[in-house]
Amino acid sequence: MTSMQSAQDFDHQNGLEWRLYTGMLTTRLFEDALIRWEHEGKISAQTFPSKGQEAIAIGCCLALERGDAVIPSFRTRGAMVAMGITIVEQLREFVHSPLAAGGSRDAPHHASWPERGVMPGSTMIGGHLAMAAGLALAMQLEQKGEVSLAFFGDGTLGSGDLHETMHIAGMSRLPLILVCENNGWEMATPWQKVRKTQSLIPYAEPFGFATRSIDGNDALEVYNAARWARATASNGQPVFLDCMTFRAGLYSSHFGEVRGNVEKDLATWEQRDPLKRMAEWLMGHGLASAEELQRLTRQEEEGIEAAFNTVRSEG
Amino acid sequence: MAILSYRDAVGRALQDSMREEPRLIIIGQNLAGHALKQLAETYGKERVRDTSISESAMVGMAVGAAMKGWKAVVMIAYADIASVCHMAIVQSAAKLHYLTNGRLDCPVIIRLPIARFRGHGPEGNEVGASWFYNVPDLNIVMPGSANEAYWNFREALQRPTPTLFFEDRSIHTRSGDVAENSCGGKAQVTRFGEKLTIIAAGRAAALAEDVADEMAKEGSRAVEVVSLGCIKPLDKETIFASAAKTRRVLIVQDEPPLSGYAPYICCLLDELPAKQLKMAPRIIAGADQYLPFWDERPFLPSLEEVAAMVVAMMR
Ligand SMILES: Cc1ncc(C[n+]2csc(CCOP(=O)(O)OP(=O)(O)O)c2C)c(N)n1
Ligand SMILES: [Mg+2]
Repeated sequence: MTSMQSAQDFDHQNGLEWRLYTGMLTTRLFEDALIRWEHEGKISAQTFPSKGQEAIAIGCCLALERGDAVIPSFRTRGAMVAMGITIVEQLREFVHSPLAAGGSRDAPHHASWPERGVMPGSTMIGGHLAMAAGLALAMQLEQKGEVSLAFFGDGTLGSGDLHETMHIAGMSRLPLILVCENNGWEMATPWQKVRKTQSLIPYAEPFGFATRSIDGNDALEVYNAARWARATASNGQPVFLDCMTFRAGLYSSHFGEVRGNVEKDLATWEQRDPLKRMAEWLMGHGLASAEELQRLTRQEEEGIEAAFNTVRSEG
Repeated sequence: MAILSYRDAVGRALQDSMREEPRLIIIGQNLAGHALKQLAETYGKERVRDTSISESAMVGMAVGAAMKGWKAVVMIAYADIASVCHMAIVQSAAKLHYLTNGRLDCPVIIRLPIARFRGHGPEGNEVGASWFYNVPDLNIVMPGSANEAYWNFREALQRPTPTLFFEDRSIHTRSGDVAENSCGGKAQVTRFGEKLTIIAAGRAAALAEDVADEMAKEGSRAVEVVSLGCIKPLDKETIFASAAKTRRVLIVQDEPPLSGYAPYICCLLDELPAKQLKMAPRIIAGADQYLPFWDERPFLPSLEEVAAMVVAMMR
């Protein structure tokens, strides 16, 4: 499937662009709600919001196929959404519902649904990448054409595990896709203070990775790149997708905004907001109206509140 | 000297050390932009060094600088991350003094805040001190008060061997007097009592003090508290003196019971003359399992549990 299908090809709201939009919308509204509930004392879990970066998770995961595996970063809630884990299922982990699949043991941003391809990540920056390569190794042995994909922030460049993983995966031609959520900041530190180039591609290429730098705020571009990445990795060359983006939200619900002087950047990136752009695309192609999108937002918000009530009544 | 919170006592120790030791550097992440803004402004980025998320290299570099006569404080985001730099701590830092036949010193502090009760989940709420008890020449500090925090920090930089500084964030806001004289490396009798000694470190020591205070409110002067502050090397003298006085010993530690100061002290007490203790020493330790995101408390020693044990032992 390509993103350039004509409008007639779309079963309304089931088309790719709609699914990209709703995935991002759900993620944004859900994370907003999580932060609000935390501040209201209704839940006590840190949220590392992906606001402004949602296109990366949604675009990549919608490009995957049955049997593929994903390891989210601590900031990739959208991966769970796009892999089909419902809000109710995710929320159960936050409130220790008796129905929580993971028993609320792991931090909710690392919650996993292994049988559905969402694997447990790691709080240790970079620690999950070797596990993603191990999944890819098993897939290579099983020869079913499946791929393993892992998300991580650009701060992971400092982690030895990233380099060790790339070294082995490149040499072993593993069906591995590494997706960098390259927002130019690691907590309160801008990239200029800790590395030579913002792009991580110069570090990945020599290890034998096929690489692409993409606009991480363009869901369609992410999706297309991820389809290419999937085909490439499945054929035996690991891929590194460097997704350029910006964190529009807080570092975390606990720490708040920790970056200095980002007002101008925030304003610039607001114009490139992935949801806004996808909405414009849908309306520009006559696939949605402003009212329809507003209605959808309201529905989603109500759905998220209803999910919270559901899980709270379970225990 | 002053009444300070536990957190501020560590901050003051860092400040005083930077002022008094011109060849001291701090290595960490997000220091200038977040964690140590003030110190970074005062001493500049030469001595307050921001790095990428590279804990193994951060510790290794501190050891290298020590070879040239520098001292270093390595700031780790939280204690679990000691696993990431385990190699550098054990192989590089701890062995330097021994391998060079004492010709090189390693006055390096590795600051490891314990991030309990913050919803980090099992990869972010461990203590991990017991991973290191059998590493010779590695000092282990776990302050239970502002006084112990300040002086053990200052003392550590005078040592020829490195120190793991386990700073317990769950008692960060607890205030206390920082004395004029150093208690570095020495256990403190922080509550005086007649009939039973509780020996503990960090949060567990604070818990023991709370139990003693509760009982004091009810007019009992039974419980004495020995707060270790420094676990390795261990101040046996203070432990033996208190045990010989009260003749009943309860040791409380947050980590599981298979290793740690509790089983070790228990063994040591065997050296006391026969019948010196009225009964065998008892241990309350954390459960031998991970602490789930959902609720850590049921698996850690609690005030009620310690109080009940005290009553049972005195019956
Ligand atoms: C090994 C390790 N060191 C430090 C941390 C603390 N930490 C958590 S997130 C973070 C910054 C991550 O930056 P980046 O990877 O760019 O992700 P972003 O927050 O920008 O999404 C740090 C230092 C950690 N979790 N693990
Ligand atoms: Mg980043």
